[in-house]
Parts: sequence; structure tokens; C-alpha cells
Amino acid sequence: MRENLFAAKNISVIKKAFREYYFNQSKAIEEPLKMEQREFGFAHFGQAGMLRHLSFKSMKELDAMLVREAPSDVYCSNAYYRIPTQQPMQEKQWLGADLIFDIDGKDLGMPCVPSHSYSVCINCGYGSPPEKHKERSSYSCPSCGCKKADYVSIPCSKCIDGSKKEARRLVDFLLGDIGLEHSAIHVYFSGNNGFHVHINDDAFISLDPQARSDLVGYLSGTGLMLESIGLRKTNTEDLFSIKLPKSGLAFGWRRRIAERLKIDMASAIKLKNIVNQNGGYNAFKVELDRLARDMGVRIDPQVTTDVHRVFRMPGTLNSKSGLSKTKSSDLNSFDPFVDACLLGDGKVSVKVKTPVKLKLKRNSFNVSKESAEMPTYAAVYLMCKGLAEAN
Amino acid sequence: MAGSDLAKYPFLNEAGAYLRESNFGWEELDRPDMKHIIDRAAERIEIEVNGKIYDNLERYEIEILTFLISLVIVKSISIEQVLRKFALAEARRAEKFLTEDLRKQSEIKRRSVFTKIFEDLFKLRILISEDQRLFKVRVIDYLARASHFNEQEWKLINRLVHNGYVYLDADETVRLIRNELAVLIYDKVRAMTLPTLPQGIKSRADELRLKFLPRYERRASAAVTDYPPCIKHALEVMNKGDNLPHSARVMLATYMLAIGKPVDEIVSMFENAPDFNEKITRYQVEHLAGMKGSHTKYSVPSCDKLRNENLCFATAECDTLINPIQFGRKKK
Ligand code: SF4
Ligand SMILES: [Zn+2]
Ligand SMILES: [Zn+2]
Repeated sequence: MRENLFAAKNISVIKKAFREYYFNQSKAIEEPLKMEQREFGFAHFGQAGMLRHLSFKSMKELDAMLVREAPSDVYCSNAYYRIPTQQPMQEKQWLGADLIFDIDGKDLGMPCVPSHSYSVCINCGYGSPPEKHKERSSYSCPSCGCKKADYVSIPCSKCIDGSKKEARRLVDFLLGDIGLEHSAIHVYFSGNNGFHVHINDDAFISLDPQARSDLVGYLSGTGLMLESIGLRKTNTEDLFSIKLPKSGLAFGWRRRIAERLKIDMASAIKLKNIVNQNGGYNAFKVELDRLARDMGVRIDPQVTTDVHRVFRMPGTLNSKSGLSKTKSSDLNSFDPFVDACLLGDGKVSVKVKTPVKLKLKRNSFNVSKESAEMPTYAAVYLMCKGLAEAN
Repeated sequence: MAGSDLAKYPFLNEAGAYLRESNFGWEELDRPDMKHIIDRAAERIEIEVNGKIYDNLERYEIEILTFLISLVIVKSISIEQVLRKFALAEARRAEKFLTEDLRKQSEIKRRSVFTKIFEDLFKLRILISEDQRLFKVRVIDYLARASHFNEQEWKLINRLVHNGYVYLDADETVRLIRNELAVLIYDKVRAMTLPTLPQGIKSRADELRLKFLPRYERRASAAVTDYPPCIKHALEVMNKGDNLPHSARVMLATYMLAIGKPVDEIVSMFENAPDFNEKITRYQVEHLAGMKGSHTKYSVPSCDKLRNENLCFATAECDTLINPIQFGRKKK
């Protein structure tokens, strides 16, 4: 949490909105399986760091705490522990951890991002509108001359579609390759700019970090060897031979690559030509690597491989936006700016730092004046982004 | 279960049952005709501790006894490294027979042996692929095992994966359980309580102990609990006798040098590597220590670099680390 952005006044407005949410919408918060074996963590407005190693016996207990404290962020371990409150980690006695995936819109390299990234001076908090062509290294605060800014993005529909595409692809992999049941895959909007996928399948909870890392490699298309599609290097020169795999090209990554290269089991010669057109074995290796990553899913490897992580809890609010981490049962129709925008609509008066455009709960806001009255959900969104201050 | 199976897989519980049924007793080991078996057992241990496989097969009655006596001798030698090497070689021996047997998959009756070994012993279900040419195991079962192998070809992405299954040939299927076989044998020895040994065995065990002792004496292994996860992992791989990629060896050696471990001790950490060569390893470690060649001392690779090389297995305690060397030093 960027403390400086949260002047006391902002904090009190946002906290009030969060508290109201936790009071009215406690049903939106999902009870985690085996709650008593989970570790919980909280962040508080205006305070650095996170409080971890907490435990709650029931949702009632948790709900009460949420209303009382109105934390900025709420986390729950994907891990199960015998004693979740123990420290250090080893003493908790790890029993397993749900398999989780994190798709973060900001890692997708969407070309539209500069057009909706606002810069906020890290020194004085001055906000400037998006500048498409300006280098970030040349930033200089118009107000105080500071050379460093935070960039806050108000994701556009293209960004959200980009994350959805990754989420769909992940689900396809998990169903078709990994063999998971539909009912075991739960997709959530992260509450800001991405998706979290939680797997509810007991077979996976005992996997260690290494096994998870191997799985991540598979899903993200890293480490595919040319040998997998039948290419073998013959000697130290750039020479190679082709022997298409006996077991065929019909499944998994072999199928994906074969489709992309338009080859089949009768294409040995064609494959040879493709390799040569790419500039030989070594050059083709680079190309195959690029292809595989391109066809893989962009997930954050660290989130999946860390089995001691606390992860944003479904149904709780994200302090980067005031939106909630919300389940999406149908990605096509899911609109985070409607379905995850759950704060109240009482009017709040804010000072907006720079002209902004946004659309929440199907209402468009095009704020150009300095002071504006707007519904709580929109005011909180802008304050969380650091683009507005409470009046 | 056929007798010939017990000869190849004497670690199966059925072998113990056979001994019980035949009313075998320790006293019998002092009988003169047992000398042949004790010799075989001693030979088996020596060959295996030297990294080779003893694949000489005799009648199952003899094999079962030889195996049992080797366990007793290894227990009595009581040198950790000897036990580890023996367990690993025994696993490789079984692996070899299993692979041969599994290739002859047409013999339906053999299936029961595999189910016994794979499913009863290691909870690994193997199925025959739709076209009968391959075996298949569940992705989850594959990951739990193969992710600890370091060769790139074992990475899930380089496997044929479909609908929740990984397709494997006979060799690959058996390779999956090598470590578990080794652990099984390791545990068998660990769990044994020795009776007063007949003289014939006792003296062979003492002989072997004297022979092995100088090799392993100074290699008391340090407790690994305080190492960062990346290092712990590398040590685990090493100790299992699996291959560790070069980058991981560099990480391990530079780390150990950085925390002040003597070169000797570091060299001995690598002795379980399948391609271990004391001289070469010593040269490499000394090189990294700046004692050889360029005289530059190599530093421990950063966490970033290790992450890129897939050598990082960060846990929560790694939170703010930049270099593994900081692990455990930072105040929480
Ligand atoms: S974060 Fe650093 S210390 Fe921790 S496992 Fe990764 S490389 Fe090792
Ligand atoms: Zn400024
Ligand atoms: Zn966008």
C-alpha cells in the first residue's frame, strides 16, 4: 500500500465504504474449505506490510473482524496447516496446498496500456493524464520536478479481454491436457486487472513446489525441446535428423506445435524445410521456444510454485481498486466493472487530480473538473488508484 | 507370485513370507553350505557400493537369502553412505528387471507383478494405452515423481500428455519409481533390528566396514535444515543420486564456499552424483573458490538468476531475498 497516497481523509472515506461492504455483503465472502487449517493475512490502510499467521475458526469470526477493522486487503493461504498461527513457517506443519494460478493483466504487454496509464508523482502525488508516446524515463513532475512516478492503469475492455483470453486458455489446458473436471476449476476476477484460478481437487494439494513448477512450465510453454517433435541434432554442426515420434503428433504440445506448423505424421520433409527456412537447427530452436511461449498461458510462476503463500480471498475487496475478487462462472458475459463493483452509491465529494474517464456499474464518468461529486464506488476507485482525494 | 519374480524383486513382502514358511532361522547361517550365500551377499554389496549393479541371478531360494543377508551386512556396516549407495544400486537392479519384464507386456499374467510393485508398494497406477503400445500414468502421479528428475526430457512439456494422462514406454515407466524403490530398501535396512549375528556374517561385515571406512570417515554430513530452499533442493537431488545440472552444481558449490565449508567437505557432497569423479570435482570446486585458474572467486548467483534457471524453490522465508546467502540472516 502506498502510504503517502492515503492521507487520513482518504483512508476514512475508503474505510467507511469497505466497512459498509463487509457489513452488508458478508454473504459474498466464500468460506474456504477447511477454514481452521488456513493461515490468514491482512493489510491495513496507511500501514506498510501485512499481518500474517492469523487464524479464524468460523466465518462469523472472520466477518466480525472484517467489519471491525475494515482492512485494505484480505488474504487466505492456499496451504493447509496443522497449526496455521505458528511461526516460523516450518512449525506450522504444512499439510498441503490448493493449486492456484494468477493471471495479471499488467504482465500481458497489452499495447493499449500507455493510453490509460496515469502518472502519479511519488513525491507530491501530482497526477498527470496518459501520454502515449512519452518515455517513462523522461518523466518530470510538473508540480515538484521529481523524476519518479507511479503509473496507475485504469484497465480498458481490451485489457480485460486479454486477461480473459489467458484465463480461457488456462482452463482449456487444465481440462484437455491435465484432465481436471470442469467443476474443479474456479475462475475469479482478481479485483483489479486480472484473474485468479483456484483448483479444487484433492489430488493436487500434496504437490511440492517442484512439481508445481513443472506444471507451470507445461502450461506456459517453457522448455519445449525440439526432440519432442522428432528433431535430433546430429553433431556439433547445425545438422539435424528427423524422426517423427512413434507415438504421433495427436496430443498435447505436439499437437499444438504440429497444428501451428501445419505438419502431420507424413510431413518429415516439410518439417525439414521449415527448419531450414528458419535458418537451421539452432535458429529454429529459438523460434520454437518463441512459438511455445506464445501458445502457452501467461501465469505468474511464483504464485503457483509457492506453497506457503497467502492469496487474496474470494469475495473480499482489492485496495488497488475497491472492486471485489469475484467469481466468474461465465467469462464471456462477465464484466468486472459491473459484476465486481459492489460498493455503495452514496455520494462522495472528491478532488480529482487529472481528467479521467472510467465506466463503472454501466455508468460512464468523464471527470474534468477538479471537484466532483460521485457515487462511492467510483470515488473509491479513483482514490484507490491515487487519482483523487477526499474533499 | 512366481519364484523367479521373487528372485528379481526380493524386496516384495512375499519374499519375507517365503522365509517364514520355510522356517528359516538365523542359526542356519552358520551352516557350511551358507558360506556361498554370504560370499554372494558380500560381493553384491561391494559391487553396488562401487556404483555397479549386481545382476547375477540364481535360484530364487538363493536370491532371497542373499538379499536378506546383504541387508543384514549393510545394517551392520552402519555407514550412511554405504547404505545409500547400496539402496540406490538395488533400485537400479530391480529397475532393470522390471523394464525387461514390462516390455513383454503381452504376458498378461505378468501384470499382476507390476500391479503389486507399482500399485501396492508405490500407489502408482499404470494403464495400457489405447493402442496397446505404451503405458500411461495420471499427470498428478507423473508430476509427483518426474519433477524431481533434472533432465529436460522429463519436463512435463516434453511428454505426451492427454486427458489427464502421461504416456510412457516401459523404461520410462519404471524409471519413475527408481527413487521410491531406493527409499523402500533404505527404509527396510533402517527399520531392521539386528540379532546377535552368526560369526560367519559378523566377520564379513567387519571386513567390509574396515574397507569402506577410510572412504567415508571424514564425511559427516551437515544438517541441512538451515539452508535456503534452493540449496536444500540441490542437496536432496544429490543425495538421491540424481543428476544435477551444471548451473545447480555451481550454485551449490559457491554457496557452500561462501558459508565457509572446507573444499573437502564440498567435494564429498557431490559424491553421489552419477558421474562423480573426485579429481575433477575437486578441481572445479577449487576453481570456484578462486584457488585455481583465473584466481577470481565466484560469488553465489543471485535469486533472480536462479529463478531464471529454474533453480529457485522460494518459500515464504525467501520473501525479500536478493541472494540465497542472505537466507536466515535477515530479521523478520
Ligand atoms: S528466493 Fe533465493 S534463496 Fe529463496 S529459494 Fe529462491 S533462489 Fe533460493
Ligand atoms: Zn511531484
Ligand atoms: Zn487496455
